Amino acid sequence: MPYYLRKRLTDLSINIVMLVFLFVTLMPIGWMLFSSVKNSTDIAIGRIGLSRNIEGHTEIHWENYVDLWKNVNFGLYLRNSVVICGTTVVIAMTLSTLAAYALSRFKFPGSDLFSNAILATQMIPALMYLIPLYIMFIKFTMLTGLPVKGTFWGLILIYSAFFTPFSIWILRGFFAAIPVELEEAAKIDGCNQFQVFWNVALPLAIPGIIATGIYLFLNAWDELMFAWVLTNADTMTIPVGIRLFVGNYQNRFDLMMAAATVATIPVCIIFFLLQRYIVQGLTAGAVKG
Amino acid sequence: MSVLSGQINKQKKKPVLQRIKQNRIAYVFLLPTLLAMLFLHIFPIMQGIYMSFLELNQFTLSQYLLAPFVGLDNFYKVLIDVNSPIRIGLFEAVRNTVIYTLLVTVGTLGVGMVVALMLNRKFFGRSLVRTLFLFPWIIPTYVTGLLWGIMWLKEGGLINVMLVDWLHLLPFKPSWLTGANTIWAIIIPTIWRYWPLSMLMLLAGLQTIPEELYEAADIDGAGPWRKFWMITWPMLQPVWFILILFGLISNTYSFNIVIMMFGFGAGFPGEWGDLMMTNIFRNSFQLWNFGTGAAASVLLLIVMVAIVNVWFRLYKQAEEVR
Repeated sequence: MPYYLRKRLTDLSINIVMLVFLFVTLMPIGWMLFSSVKNSTDIAIGRIGLSRNIEGHTEIHWENYVDLWKNVNFGLYLRNSVVICGTTVVIAMTLSTLAAYALSRFKFPGSDLFSNAILATQMIPALMYLIPLYIMFIKFTMLTGLPVKGTFWGLILIYSAFFTPFSIWILRGFFAAIPVELEEAAKIDGCNQFQVFWNVALPLAIPGIIATGIYLFLNAWDELMFAWVLTNADTMTIPVGIRLFVGNYQNRFDLMMAAATVATIPVCIIFFLLQRYIVQGLTAGAVKG
Repeated sequence: MSVLSGQINKQKKKPVLQRIKQNRIAYVFLLPTLLAMLFLHIFPIMQGIYMSFLELNQFTLSQYLLAPFVGLDNFYKVLIDVNSPIRIGLFEAVRNTVIYTLLVTVGTLGVGMVVALMLNRKFFGRSLVRTLFLFPWIIPTYVTGLLWGIMWLKEGGLINVMLVDWLHLLPFKPSWLTGANTIWAIIIPTIWRYWPLSMLMLLAGLQTIPEELYEAADIDGAGPWRKFWMITWPMLQPVWFILILFGLISNTYSFNIVIMMFGFGAGFPGEWGDLMMTNIFRNSFQLWNFGTGAAASVLLLIVMVAIVNVWFRLYKQAEEVR
């Protein structure tokens, strides 16, 4: 067989394998979307197609979503999740941008210690924080009368502090990739240290900051354990709401799948609007180390 | 203190005080993060460690740090005392966590590598396919647990319908959510959820490998297998070092997928589905054994620090050999 033909054939077979694998990968998601408009019995007995009603029309149960909205206060959870995750991203990105810049540009007493501490925080099991923070919140309320547990601020503070180290770690790579000469030139032009950061380094790091911010948002959106313990009925986020709902409707598979779909849609929208940044940003950070 | 160390470092560096002064702005930039970490990382973690020496349960919780000090008793209960309540299911949880972490880390890396190699060619619709492959990674993990929990159902689950009714690979419908199969029921969804991230990073790494290396290998007559192991894999070392490091950490502390899959957020995952995190969570918040739970967390932390250190050391050695 001639060389080019063999290469063509190899390419073709790799493409086929890839498309089959793509199909298998996306199947659970397709099944989730499809099941959310089926009736619960069909899911339970494993009928993959839609069932037909007496007149022979296929039944598409759009009303599952209406049911979901009536049964669960989904609008509230959505609002809570957006407020908590959004504020967390703003605070954590502010802290970590400043810290990452400091770590990538200055070699100062304690900088190695701080870098190691950032990595070390990633090794600590979250459960170890959970109980002390829970009790600290209660004690704080007892001492000052200000409620913390069950408020937005409690969770936002915790999330910000938790996601900051990892984003410092990613962002440091972005700042390190910005040529120092640019900043030196700005210094010669008479900028002070902060102006150099604000006018030179920050604009160049924007793609990385956006990518890290989205990654953070996805992680915060996904957090269940802390939200479970530290929120109440009014400040519950989507994961906690879904967990409660699912616990109460053990055999309504259709509604569970509708809930799963609704929880996924907001992150999907964000991802597709900004996916260019994520792909560029996370991969750039990874390669530079 | 700073004066003293300044004198010691005099020969090599400027005095510490002077260096601190020179880098004042760096400390200003770090200050907010330092404060946040002091109050929300260091302060709670010290309490968490101290808690592991206390007899802290539902009766003494109101006293919190003033609860009776019992020394190493909690560690004794976790490690040695066979009859203590926390030991129920602890061995299984440790075993499952080890299997789960290793298989998920290797699995995500392997699948990610294969797909990254497939995507690192020129073909029509490449960026669309790449984006579609990223899809599982944006599904929240609690949704992953919930979704696969229904897909693994014995009678109506998609997996059994496919394996038995469509492909006839198995003669009967196995039960995935009870018994020893559970470990697969948690490993496979986790790999499914996390491999796209590995793929993305490995793909970025692949694109930095200079083409000349492969051309040189072609001249030497190396086959694709040899080219992969002699060029591609070593060149990707910085990427997979990080992926394995964070894979080991995050999979050991995996929680959401297991907790949402079994009993949909409330059930016991069974002796082949329980992980360290779900085990300690249950001990702490359902059995109210906060002290022993904290002791188990401290032990887990020590093991984790050891593993990460070993991994760093191995990596350094491998780099020196190169």
